[in-house]
Amino acid sequence: ISSSLREAANEDTCVTISDEEPGDDLDLFCVPNHYAKDLEKVFIPHGLILDRTEKLARDVMGDMGGHHIVALRVLKAGYTFCADLLDYVKTRFFKSYCNDQSTGAIKVLGGDNLSTLAGKNILIVEDIIDFGKTMQIFLSLVQQHNPKMVEVANLLVKRTPRSIGYQPDFVGFEIPDKFVIGYALDYNEYFRDLNHVCVISETGKAKYKSEAESLG
Amino acid sequence: MAGNREEAPDYGQGVVITDDWTGYDLSLFTYPQHYYGDLEYVLIPHGIIVDRIERLAKDIMKDIGCCDIMVLCVLKGGYKFCADLVEHLKNISRNSDCIFMKVDFIRLKSYRNDQSMDEMQIIGGDDLWTLAGKNVLIVEIGTGRTIKALLSSIEKYKPNMIKVASLLVKRTPRSDGFRPDYAGFEIPNLFVVGYALDYNEYFRDLNHICVINEHGKEKHRV
Repeated sequence: ISSSLREAANEDTCVTISDEEPGDDLDLFCVPNHYAKDLEKVFIPHGLILDRTEKLARDVMGDMGGHHIVALRVLKAGYTFCADLLDYVKTRFFKSYCNDQSTGAIKVLGGDNLSTLAGKNILIVEDIIDFGKTMQIFLSLVQQHNPKMVEVANLLVKRTPRSIGYQPDFVGFEIPDKFVIGYALDYNEYFRDLNHVCVISETGKAKYKSEAESLG
Repeated sequence: MAGNREEAPDYGQGVVITDDWTGYDLSLFTYPQHYYGDLEYVLIPHGIIVDRIERLAKDIMKDIGCCDIMVLCVLKGGYKFCADLVEHLKNISRNSDCIFMKVDFIRLKSYRNDQSMDEMQIIGGDDLWTLAGKNVLIVEIGTGRTIKALLSSIEKYKPNMIKVASLLVKRTPRSDGFRPDYAGFEIPNLFVVGYALDYNEYFRDLNHICVINEHGKEKHRV
C-alpha cells in the first residue's frame, strides 16, 4: 500500500509517551542551574512541545477556523501553553481563514462573562488533565450558554486508573502518571522558569513543598 | 524521547536514539505539503534539535569559550546546524564572557589519488593558512564522511587546537571509530533527510530530521 494510505490508517491522535520512557539526562539539555538537584530527568523538551503545539494550532483552525473563536483558559492553570497555542494560531494559520465576510477575532476570557459565548466557537485551553472530572463540569457549564461549538485543547493527558475516560479534542501528549513540572506546570509557583517538562526529584518535592502540604 | 535509551555518560555520545525507536508519526507534526507521502516517520523533531544545540553551545563555551574561535562550517549539510549553533554561541557570549568568533565555510570532495588512495579535498573558504595558531571548531552535520581525513588536512595549517561538533553520529559497522568532541545525537544507521540533509538536493527545506520512504526516493530520483 502507498505510504499516504498507511499514514491515514495509523494516524495517532497525540504523541504517546510510554510508561517505560525514562526521559533524558539533565546534562543533555539546558536547565536552569538552580533546579539542577530538583529534577530527575527532562521528560518533554521545550522544542518538542512547541513543534507539537504548532500542529495542534493547525488542527484547531481546521475545525474552528471559519468563525469567531473564543479561547477560554481555566484561571488556576499556567498560561504558557495557551499563549503558545494562540500565538501559532494567530501567526501561522489565521491569515488563511480570514476573508471579507468573517470578522474572525480571537478573544481570551477569564470566565466572568460567559453569556458572550453564545453562538461562538469556544476553545477551552488546559495544560494537563488528570481525572477529567473538573473538565466535565466546566464543559456542561459552558454548554449552558449555547455556543456554536465547544472543543478542548489539552497539552498533556495523564494515563491514570482514576481517570473517568474523558478525551479532549486536541491532545499534545499522553503521558504516564508521573509528577511532572515545567513549561506550563508549576509546583507551588516554582518551576515557572523551566521551559522543558521534567520529572521532579525527591529533593525537589521536599524543597518546594507548601506549608499546607508539610502540615497535612 | 520515547523509546529505550541508554544513559549518555559524557560529552561524546549525546542523546542516544536506539535501533528500536520507531519515531514519531508524521501526522503529529507540521511539515511542507510537497513532502506528504515521501517520508516514513519523524526521527528527530526540529524543536529537540534546537534544544540539544543550545546545550552543545553551552558545553563548547565552557570548554573553549575563553579563546577566539574559528568556526569552520562543512557545507552543504552543515549550514543549518552551524547557523543555529552560532546563534546560541552568540546568545551566551552576549550575556556573559565575550568570545570572539569568526565563521568560514568549506565543502569537501573525496577522490582517489594516483596511488589509488582516498583523499579529501577542501573546496572554498578563505586562505586556510589564517587558521595557524587559532582554535578551530569544525561544525558538520555528521553524514559519515571521513572526518579523520578532514582533520589531517586541517592539521597541515597548524592551528592551535581543533575540535569537532557533529549533530549526528551514525552507528555503522563501517565506522572508523571517530568520535566528535561534541555530539548532538547518536542515531541508527538510517538514511535521513531534513534539517539541511538532502536526498538529491530535496528535503533541505524540511525542518525535522526524518526517514525517507521508497516513494520519496523514487519521486526524487535523479
